[in-house]
Amino acid sequence: MAEMKQDSQADISNAGKNRRSFIAILAGGLAMLGPIGAGILSFLSPLFRKAASPQVRVALLDQVPDDGRPYFFRVVADRQDAWTSYSQQKVGAVYLVRQPGDELPVAFTAKCPHAGCSVGYSAEEQKFKCPCHTSSFNIDGCRVNGDKEVSPRDMDTLEVVLNQVAASDSESVTEVLVTFVDYKTGHSEKILSE
Amino acid sequence: MKKIVSNSIDWLDHRTGIKEVLREALYERVPGGARWRYVWGSALVVAFVTQVITGIFLWMAYSPSTQTAWESVYYIQHEMNGGWLLRGIHHFMASAMVVLLAIHFVQIVWDGAYRAPRELNFVLGLVLMLIVLGLSLTGYLLPWDQKGYWATNVGTELASQTPMAGGAIKKLAVGGSSYGHHTLTRFFALHAGVLPGALVAFLVLHLWLFRRHGLTPKEPRAGPDVLFWPDQVLKDSVAALGILVAVMGVVVYTGGAELTAPADPANNYAAARPEWYFLFLFQFLKWFPGELEVWGAFVIPGLIVGVLFLMPWIGRSRVGHFFNVALLAVLLGGAAMLTVQAIQDDTLAGSADAKFEESGLTATPENEAAFNASREFLRAKRDALHHAERVVDLAKTKGIPPTGALTLVYEDPYLQGPKLFAQNCASCHSYVDRDQPDPAIAFLVNEKPTAPNLFGVGSRKWIEGLLDPKQVAGPDYFGYEGSPFAGEGENTEMVLFVQDDCFGGVLNDAKRAEIKGALKKIAAALSCEATLPLQREQDAQDTAMIAEGRVLIEGGLADLLESGTSCTDCHSFGAQQDIGSPVLDGYMSRQWMIDFLRNPADERFYGDLNDRMPAFAPHDNPQLNQLDDQTLGLIVDWLRGDWVRAKPQAAGDAGNH
Repeated sequence: MAEMKQDSQADISNAGKNRRSFIAILAGGLAMLGPIGAGILSFLSPLFRKAASPQVRVALLDQVPDDGRPYFFRVVADRQDAWTSYSQQKVGAVYLVRQPGDELPVAFTAKCPHAGCSVGYSAEEQKFKCPCHTSSFNIDGCRVNGDKEVSPRDMDTLEVVLNQVAASDSESVTEVLVTFVDYKTGHSEKILSE
Repeated sequence: MKKIVSNSIDWLDHRTGIKEVLREALYERVPGGARWRYVWGSALVVAFVTQVITGIFLWMAYSPSTQTAWESVYYIQHEMNGGWLLRGIHHFMASAMVVLLAIHFVQIVWDGAYRAPRELNFVLGLVLMLIVLGLSLTGYLLPWDQKGYWATNVGTELASQTPMAGGAIKKLAVGGSSYGHHTLTRFFALHAGVLPGALVAFLVLHLWLFRRHGLTPKEPRAGPDVLFWPDQVLKDSVAALGILVAVMGVVVYTGGAELTAPADPANNYAAARPEWYFLFLFQFLKWFPGELEVWGAFVIPGLIVGVLFLMPWIGRSRVGHFFNVALLAVLLGGAAMLTVQAIQDDTLAGSADAKFEESGLTATPENEAAFNASREFLRAKRDALHHAERVVDLAKTKGIPPTGALTLVYEDPYLQGPKLFAQNCASCHSYVDRDQPDPAIAFLVNEKPTAPNLFGVGSRKWIEGLLDPKQVAGPDYFGYEGSPFAGEGENTEMVLFVQDDCFGGVLNDAKRAEIKGALKKIAAALSCEATLPLQREQDAQDTAMIAEGRVLIEGGLADLLESGTSCTDCHSFGAQQDIGSPVLDGYMSRQWMIDFLRNPADERFYGDLNDRMPAFAPHDNPQLNQLDDQTLGLIVDWLRGDWVRAKPQAAGDAGNH
């Protein structure tokens, strides 16, 4: 009889212990959840922001002769970097190529589709060449060695629009506007970065 | 005295149990006696402690934001007392740590020290290794210089190719869709907080398990067991000191860690490479064309790391252990080979000015492409070094504005001039000193110029060339291809004036010398109009000659010439106004040149006679112009040799860059 009493007491105290342990862990866990949750929420905030893809004036058409040669232009746009607002900051670069007789130039972003380095142009070899992992492209943006090239696709073209602006009553200038967007690297198709 | 110390220790021990802790820590048994081969683990701990110490002091001076990161590192490196040493130790000890890790790792695998019951400790060790590599990756970006920026950019681009969650991983690492303040704050939090914290936590576990199982003795044992203190500690300390001395030696020898130019998102650094111990991964990627990249970047490295984690279980049998040792040999050998290959690929050309024909390589398109790529790399490296030195000079002489050091870069004619000239002017003009034999100077040579050579424009020498009958119709002045101003052209008055009016007909030597002397004075007077900074002293010295030159320009020359003409028969100058153009008042001065570039067809300049020179900014509304005021100013300042100089330079150095 005495033994049974002892056992049941032990059970009760164990039961109590389990409950207390459970509540202790729960309360402690909840206490930590607040700060961790708030931290993670703010840490994830970049995921909820969309990148701007501005249409930017990169040049006047006069600066891109129709000689089939690439001309390098910096892309200058307003930009928000966290707490700093930049007006007219250099945010990237494009090459404009206008074939003889064409009005509209083709715009290539200077970002290599392989791993994102900036592609340079070698006038000597008449090729675009990436300085990092040897990708090279012809003036039309196609990969020199096709699928054997480390770049998974040809250079990315950007949308180009011409815009006439009246300079005076008699004359007007033509601006070249480029939609400066970012494409994901490492894929054989052009996929827009979110 | 002794009693006081002993009493104090007892007092402390009663309240803390310190004696027991010390006994635990120091009186570990070292089976077979203390040996040099046991020092590597503790050497790593010492290296880490070095990083913590130097890291905390660097932290006291570092400021992670896009306008302050490079700037604060510049300040540490170039202004703070011993800053270069502090940063140098941190930088090179990081390299030493990777070497020590490799030694420690090889030894553990070779000795089979991962076998039961030490499997988990091996796993912890691998986790520690990954954390150290993470510290290295995150640290590389923090100076926010071109090298770190562009190399890390490749890293986060690769991260964005992670299957499934790549985009989100990149955004979280970068703290947005492009690099900015939050990339730095995040990398810094990882580098100085999260990763070292994790490292300490795992290190405690690692050491705890190490103490629990004891060290794996090397058989046969060299002697009787000893205690950790003092015999092994002595060896460990000597090794630690040796490593520190070696690191300090490298720091002093190299002058400290490199700081390239400030990061510039719009200006690629074509020599961006990862730190040397990641070069093998960089080279490895070249083997995976197209979409196979993911295999080179993730799948294969991931599988290899996976196998490393399984080593203790694979190594339970003799065959398994042999496999592990062989695998490690293959991996290290492969990594070494790839590293050597990466370096060879980059240095194939030998120098930035090497010529393929002289390289001794077989003339195949592949060889030529490889050679050119290497030369581009070496050029980029040389230019970047030069660029970095220039920015540091600017920061020292002008100071860094609140907008950051990039402003210094973009407002410097010396750095921007050659680029803007190449982009806007070099398709017609050359910029080359024909008398300068030094091939190392990067002149911009147009093989078929359709406009004058602008090297030294406005200087006495340049104007003397313009007034030289042998040169005026040459390719550097008016004799360029398709020129209307020379040969069969329609407007050859200037060339004819110099060749015929001045030096035509039969002249005796005395007369010829007299005219030459007069033209020299004219050149001096005209050049004085330019107020070139490099000629300021010369102009101040030669006031008499310049005054004579002015008189000659304003009509005096006519008395010497048979034709009875002078400059002001065609050009307006000084007292002779409203005559014609180009106007010579302020000739080649800053404002004259800017106005000229704005619209060379203006009546002050060439008017209807303008050749093919475009009007770069004819409109009041900047939006309608090809070039903005700042760009025009930079081109003009560069052509005029008007830039901040850290050390005074001779006039002849105007074109050096």
